Amino acid sequence: MKNKITIILFFLGLYLNAQDFKFGKVSKEELLEKTCPIDSSANAAILYNYRSTYFTLTNTGLELYTEIHKRIKIYNKDGFDSATEEINLFKTNGSNEFLSKLKAYTYNLNNGKIEKTELKKDQIFREEVNMNNDQVKFTMPNVKEGAVIEFRYRVASPFIWSIDDFVLQYNIPVKKELLRLKTIDGIDFKTTSKGYLQAYPKRSSEHDLNLDMGMVINTYELENVPALKEEKYVDNIDNYRAGVMFELVSITLPGTFSKYYAQSWGDVAKTIGSTDDYRNGLDKTKSFDDDLESLIKGTINQVDKMKLIFKHVKDNIAWNGMDGKYFYNGIRKALKEKKGNSADINLTLVAMLRVAGIHANPVAISTKDNVKPYFPTVDRLNTVIAYAKINNEEYFLDATEEFSDINVMPVKDYNWSGILIDNPNKVWQKINLKEPEMAIGQYAINAKLDEEGVIEGNFKAKYLKHKAYEFREAFKDQVLEDFIANRESTYNNIEISNYKVENAKTFSGAVQESFNYYQENGAEVINNKIYIQPFSILKIEENPFKPNERLFPVDFGYAFLERSVLTIEIPEGYKAETQPKPVLFKMPNSLGEFKYMPTLLGNKLKLMVEFKIKKSVINADKYLFLKQFFNQIIEKEAEQIVLTKA
Amino acid sequence: MKQYFVLALLLTIHFTILAQENLYTTKAIPESLLTNANAVIRLNEIAVSIESQQEMVITSKRIITVLNEAGFKHVGAYLGYDKYRKIKKIEAIIFDENGNEIKKIKKKDFVDHSAVDGGTLYSDSRVLYMSYMPVSYPLTIAFFCEVETPNTAAIPSWRPIDDYYLSIEKDVYSITDNANLGLKTKPINFEDFNVETNEINNTSIFKLVNTKAIKPEALSPSLSWFTPKAIFTSENFHFYGVNGEASNWLEFGNWVENKLLKDRREVSEATKNKIISLTKDYSDPLKKAEIVYKYVQDNTRYISVQVGIGGVQPISAMDVDRLKYGDCKGLTNYTQSLLNIAGVKSYYTIVEAGNEKVDFYDDFYSLAQGNHIILCIPNSNDNVWIDCTSQKHPFGFIGDFTDDRNVLVVKPNASQVVKTTAYINEINHKKTKANIFLDETGDIQANVNIKSYGINYDRRFFVESESDKNINEFYKELWDYVNNLSVNNYAFTNDKKHVEFTESLKINAQHYAAKIGDGLIFKPNTFNRNLYIPNRYRNRKMPLKIQRGYFDEDEFTIQIPAGYTLEAVPNNEQLTNKFGEYSISFEINQKEILYKRKLLIKAGNYPKEDYALYRSFRKSVAKFDNLSLVIRKTE
Repeated sequence: MKNKITIILFFLGLYLNAQDFKFGKVSKEELLEKTCPIDSSANAAILYNYRSTYFTLTNTGLELYTEIHKRIKIYNKDGFDSATEEINLFKTNGSNEFLSKLKAYTYNLNNGKIEKTELKKDQIFREEVNMNNDQVKFTMPNVKEGAVIEFRYRVASPFIWSIDDFVLQYNIPVKKELLRLKTIDGIDFKTTSKGYLQAYPKRSSEHDLNLDMGMVINTYELENVPALKEEKYVDNIDNYRAGVMFELVSITLPGTFSKYYAQSWGDVAKTIGSTDDYRNGLDKTKSFDDDLESLIKGTINQVDKMKLIFKHVKDNIAWNGMDGKYFYNGIRKALKEKKGNSADINLTLVAMLRVAGIHANPVAISTKDNVKPYFPTVDRLNTVIAYAKINNEEYFLDATEEFSDINVMPVKDYNWSGILIDNPNKVWQKINLKEPEMAIGQYAINAKLDEEGVIEGNFKAKYLKHKAYEFREAFKDQVLEDFIANRESTYNNIEISNYKVENAKTFSGAVQESFNYYQENGAEVINNKIYIQPFSILKIEENPFKPNERLFPVDFGYAFLERSVLTIEIPEGYKAETQPKPVLFKMPNSLGEFKYMPTLLGNKLKLMVEFKIKKSVINADKYLFLKQFFNQIIEKEAEQIVLTKA
Repeated sequence: MKQYFVLALLLTIHFTILAQENLYTTKAIPESLLTNANAVIRLNEIAVSIESQQEMVITSKRIITVLNEAGFKHVGAYLGYDKYRKIKKIEAIIFDENGNEIKKIKKKDFVDHSAVDGGTLYSDSRVLYMSYMPVSYPLTIAFFCEVETPNTAAIPSWRPIDDYYLSIEKDVYSITDNANLGLKTKPINFEDFNVETNEINNTSIFKLVNTKAIKPEALSPSLSWFTPKAIFTSENFHFYGVNGEASNWLEFGNWVENKLLKDRREVSEATKNKIISLTKDYSDPLKKAEIVYKYVQDNTRYISVQVGIGGVQPISAMDVDRLKYGDCKGLTNYTQSLLNIAGVKSYYTIVEAGNEKVDFYDDFYSLAQGNHIILCIPNSNDNVWIDCTSQKHPFGFIGDFTDDRNVLVVKPNASQVVKTTAYINEINHKKTKANIFLDETGDIQANVNIKSYGINYDRRFFVESESDKNINEFYKELWDYVNNLSVNNYAFTNDKKHVEFTESLKINAQHYAAKIGDGLIFKPNTFNRNLYIPNRYRNRKMPLKIQRGYFDEDEFTIQIPAGYTLEAVPNNEQLTNKFGEYSISFEINQKEILYKRKLLIKAGNYPKEDYALYRSFRKSVAKFDNLSLVIRKTE
């Protein structure tokens, strides 16, 4: 008897559970809820996120259906944005995704009674965003604080080989979600989960009556998924958003030949390498043979040849702003029209290097704005760079951006590994990109302090590698006068004269900057003593890392070193009240280092400061060290030296 | 019709002459136009021809030389359209530096895109734009287009200098009223820029030539305030299917009232009863209005949908009542409808909203003025203004979005231009009090109390609805000059009635004071350092403009650790000038330093010569705010 009750309760429990999220069964409890139990700061939360994607047979053939059902709670006015939904529908010439069965309601509690408002047809807007995308948008009627909105719809897609990513994490928390993919047994889709929360599917199988075929089902069931919150210095937040990606890997259906698609990175490289662009396109060198010959005539050293060719390609093909791993124009047309996409440029570069006898190959990559490819895939590699090997030294080249140099590629290129496509030697594999060399900023200041606290000095700086790249980008197209004015406010409102800059408009070598300056409040005079922060104009003013915790890695873009040497002449007859102390701070695993070496000899105050971040990316588990490291630096750099009249 | 032909002939001749000049080579640009320019308008020729009350043709030819990447945004090779506004012609030709044609872009090569911006749910307006990506500069782009529209209420304005770093070789605007609609023109800033004007029969022509590029300068009036422009309106007009007739703001207001607003103020019986029951116990109309405003704030939200005449006509109050959302027009009209029920008079008000104050022209009515709607509630001699799109602002407080500017209040047979509430100078008061405990290690603990009023209120009250994490970060950013700052506790009071926002905080910061021998050095101004110094200009061109001004009052009590005394008592400072006032003072007791500070910055327009003076005033303020104190161990 006892057992029986348990069973009944069990079933009842299941029944209730199933009832909870049935469309239209919004409960009073949900409407009464004041804050989100898993995140009290949430303005809205997804109570239930259901998605079912499956293959089905229709009049037009095999189609991919996706059914969506979402229930969203709005806690307060700041959560009203969550009452608007956008549905993107893809289309090409002739085929398009089709939306149907859209139903949506808003629920409010009115004097203890549930009040239901339906979304009407005239409140649903459809527009053509561009050639390939339509968008259906609606916002729910009668949304008040505390409301629950619910909608469901179905999208039928003729694009059966590309299954959209499952998004498991949103900018608001998700209390419960159930996402299911049902595919035909024999059409194998590989699933890869991404993000900082890993999700594992439950796998099952069933027989589909409509298709009369065996089906494979992957089910993702999650509860209490936190909101994804932005942090500063993140490469691309979408790299950390929990989700699942699908890629077709093989089709093995009875009575047909099996077909295999990309599975390993080697296969991906081979697939790209076997396209016409890479197989034959790279050998079409007639259009440049003569030019190249005269370009490198007389140059023997291979590295010098590479430099000449890199510059030649940059000068002769301008980037049209488009990324691609395949030609947009092809070598001949790109050279003739003097423009092309990244493949036109970098594959021309490879072809020319090869003709010059340099071992060079294309490397397909995915840039930071394109997120990381989490599994072997052709589609998620969005561009191609050139790779050369001379005397066992590796060189990575991207000739698209104006200020990129050999082994100083645009920061967005350093996202992940690369896929080497070496057709001549039949090497197709994943390789590591060479980390960019440490960027360097060197500063030399010679200054003179007077008794009023005024400093007059000379500033010289030299920027190398990515620091030079950055300077050039900032300097480009600026009216000089404006640039100097900005410099003045960056450097503590000094007044600048005799400003000079060298080598800022080319892409190679160091940029040199120099000027004289006048700093009215260079030091403070209190009670006849002079208080000076010798590092004043170069010091870090504030800690960029303010929060106390961190989920995602900190991305600096590149490792760097800043080295400064200052000599400040102090007024006659003054001496330091206390001798300034040198320090050396180090981060664990030598990720960062800060050296501060002051000396006072006669009337010369000398200061040498070295600040290094040795890795471009610092993992979140080292975040507190990093924050502390910056804190220490700021404190040290703010330290004052007291000068008293002897 | 005859006149139209004459004009067409005129235009043809005109074009031919121009074509002979070399407008496509970069070399031909006069040197003076290259200074500070990212792009040069070689020729911008707009011809507007009004054919009837419901037909206007706009032809435009724009040849622009882009000198660098930053200048590409000035090309303007795009054109908006919708169901009513038809693109008859659109074409672009790209020329290289030497004037050789590189590419021709036909209508079909233009990209068709929705013109919806981020803040709008839906709009039927679309845009065709050129997607050409230049690969090297300089280059010249010629853009030709022709549009036909029935909306004669929206005659394009002429604004030849519409951005910085842009110089103009020649810009010509001509407008022809072939339908005798009673065209009116308002020329603005023509004298300062030597605009040539010409009248031929019923055609007016405006011309601006050889105008150097202007660089932006901090604290200067906006470009549109001092550069030439012309706006137009006609006595008989048409807009998205609705005809109109007006010759002044009063008549224009009547058109708005009768054609756009009337009969859109019904609400459901249930809402009507609700409003009556909410307000019936009060007799003061302002109290009633306050209750209704709160009802609207609690029950609706801002959603923008713009279709056809819906760009200027609100959706009906009945629809807002049902959907519980609307745009500024819809929500304002809804609120007005509810106030009617409560027996409170109020008026639909058209305003040019934005942080920068832009006035309606008293003497010149046009549909083009205004981009937002607020509500005016008359109250004896004063007016109370409310913005119905805000779910959070206090009743009667409009903030810096619509303050202190001429707006059109739409009243049946009595529409007029009036000024909204000004928030300037002392009204924007911020009072900070702090008790700071400094210990021997240099750490501080502090209780801080900040009261904000006026625009300061507007900039601060949002913090109360932020998450704990964001609140912490907000204060760390606010006092970014205090290293190691953390917020241990916070409480907020939002007194909407008096528009007063109070923050009570417990703060600590490690090593706030630095050790120095046997002493400590620190800055007494812990919680309100104003270190902003405007950029230095070697050759300031524009006047100085301070839009609103503000007034800060601070009182910090600093307890120093036992056994320490202040090494030297700093001087009190007092600065007074036309820009405002600054003062700091110190009172020293045994263990306590009382630091008082005042900063008043006054709104105003000052000649360009004053900029350097103002900058030096701010330099002094920054210097005094950065002042340090040294305490020494004496026991």
